[in-house]
Amino acid sequence: MDPVVEHNTTKIPLNHQKSPSPWVIARRKFLKNKIAMIALVFLVFITVISFLAPYITTEDPAKVNIAKLMKAPSADNWLGTDNGGRDIFTRLLYGGRVSLTIGFIATLNITIIGTLIGAVAGYFGGKVDAWLMRFTDFIMVFPFLIFVIVLNAIFPKSGISALIFVISVLGWGGVARLVRSKVLSEKENDYIAAAISIGTPASKVIYKHLLPNVISTVIVQATILLASMIVFETGISFLGFGVPQTIPSWGNMISPARNPNVIQFKPWIWMPPGIVLTLTILSVNFVGEGLKDAFNPKSNR
Amino acid sequence: MAGREFFNTETSILNTKNLQAGFFIGGKFYPAIEDINIEIKPGKVVCVVGESGSGKSVTALSIMSLLPKENGSIQEGEILFEGRNLVDLSQDDMNEIRGKDIGMIFQEPMTSLNPVFTIGFQVQEVLLNHLSISKSEARERSIQLLRQVGISRPEEIVDEYPHQLSGGMRQRVMIAMAIANNPKLLIADEPTTALDVTIQAQILELIKEIQKKMNMAVMLITHDLGVVAEMADEIIVMYAGQIVEQSDTYSIFYNPKHPYLKLLLQSIPRLDENRERLDSIKGIVPSLTNIDRTGCRFTDRCPEAKDECRQISPQLAELGGGHKVRCLLYKESYPTEKAVTNR
Repeated sequence: MDPVVEHNTTKIPLNHQKSPSPWVIARRKFLKNKIAMIALVFLVFITVISFLAPYITTEDPAKVNIAKLMKAPSADNWLGTDNGGRDIFTRLLYGGRVSLTIGFIATLNITIIGTLIGAVAGYFGGKVDAWLMRFTDFIMVFPFLIFVIVLNAIFPKSGISALIFVISVLGWGGVARLVRSKVLSEKENDYIAAAISIGTPASKVIYKHLLPNVISTVIVQATILLASMIVFETGISFLGFGVPQTIPSWGNMISPARNPNVIQFKPWIWMPPGIVLTLTILSVNFVGEGLKDAFNPKSNR
Repeated sequence: MAGREFFNTETSILNTKNLQAGFFIGGKFYPAIEDINIEIKPGKVVCVVGESGSGKSVTALSIMSLLPKENGSIQEGEILFEGRNLVDLSQDDMNEIRGKDIGMIFQEPMTSLNPVFTIGFQVQEVLLNHLSISKSEARERSIQLLRQVGISRPEEIVDEYPHQLSGGMRQRVMIAMAIANNPKLLIADEPTTALDVTIQAQILELIKEIQKKMNMAVMLITHDLGVVAEMADEIIVMYAGQIVEQSDTYSIFYNPKHPYLKLLLQSIPRLDENRERLDSIKGIVPSLTNIDRTGCRFTDRCPEAKDECRQISPQLAELGGGHKVRCLLYKESYPTEKAVTNR
């Protein structure tokens, strides 16, 4: 087709380059953020050695060895042994596997459910919104702890899946509310009306036009969630209601510290998981902070 | 449907009948537009003019079924597009029509493109929504479209993001999207309001050229009477949700009937006059919740208002030659008995 009108509204800039997408810009900013990068490297390191545990250590993390109860660190057991005579270093690796798995899977589930419900409620508004948000309120008033305890009592052999299930089903309320509020403000933009005006169906408007514009908030929220999920697992296992005692997790490893003798005289039992946990949570938060800066067009750090 | 109406709709692309749409505010329904009868014939440009708050945009959004889902609603009337009543269609059926048979250009080019996608992606989306073509074909076609709306170096622009373009260029992209599937009707909701004056002229020129070339019907919404004079075949003047005057361009400018229109025309600055102050119409358009729905809505601001203007709601009546007006200065506008009892 011939040009109808040719106006010279633009001057051709010299050495024109292909323009970076918002994602590329965010990635560049993130890569420049030193603290966030160090934290990310640490997280990746912890994750990798946890999941490669069977290749790093040959000890059995669950087998009780009465001959070696609560031994201080030595050449044989680098970080000593616990009250079951099990190697702390081995348990630390295997424990990371469990704690991180719970953290990642629960966060993923929560984020997906929360984003879906929040986006639908915010986009359609009206009655759909009212019903979904009342449902969210309803879910949010359930106490996590009691549900976990009850489920563990009903299914004693469920292992970590009961914990993940409860967290996933009851934990998405905050994400749903956040996504809904973002969608509410984002959908007022003309580009949403423009997308509808070119015949784009509602489902496509939500996932193609709205979600990419709210996803940065969701990602930042997910990192914070990841940290709090790991902490939740640790806390509830410390109390003895979370991951069954036979499966090592960081929370289970800290729980012997409830014994005054252990906390006062046997620091090698609870210090390593405590330190690794603290560093992991810190790293997750630094990564989250870095992502927040990277997605924020106004920050030029 | 009566036979007579059927023939009427056949010759026109769009025909709204007694359209009433508005918003629920605090549980109560407030009509933002009432008794809207607009007929648009193929290849004609109909301009809708009026102050802010007169219901121009609500009319356009009603036709596109884009009123806010929470509280906007079409309460009465029909929107016949090629004989089909758009009011009754589901959103899925509307999606078939939107972007294909009806294109729309929005007021604010700065926000009407999605900031996270390239220009090419957004133009291609219109094509892919309605045609079964491959992505590479859509890309080729979108480059052609961008060239057609006067964007230089379209091969590069397709891969750029909205923030890299100026307002005028973005509006060109919006036009490219709106005309991508050769729509029969183009609705332009104040397409030049957010642009500077030189760009305004270019954009209007572009719309006019495309309209001529594709023989599209255009519904142009504006509050700029200068724009109207250049573009329109027919002009509709709206005030507080009603059509107050409707005629061809010549009669509107040289033979205005309604006091509101007369005042509007007087308030246009002229180069051949040397005045300290521009004329303006005293007062403002009543807000949606404050419209006095009995009597003429312009009474409070009207220099020629009579006592009965407050009591009797004038009807839009034809004075001859297709010139319609809603004002009690003309005896045709007095409501018939039936209409009075209805009110």
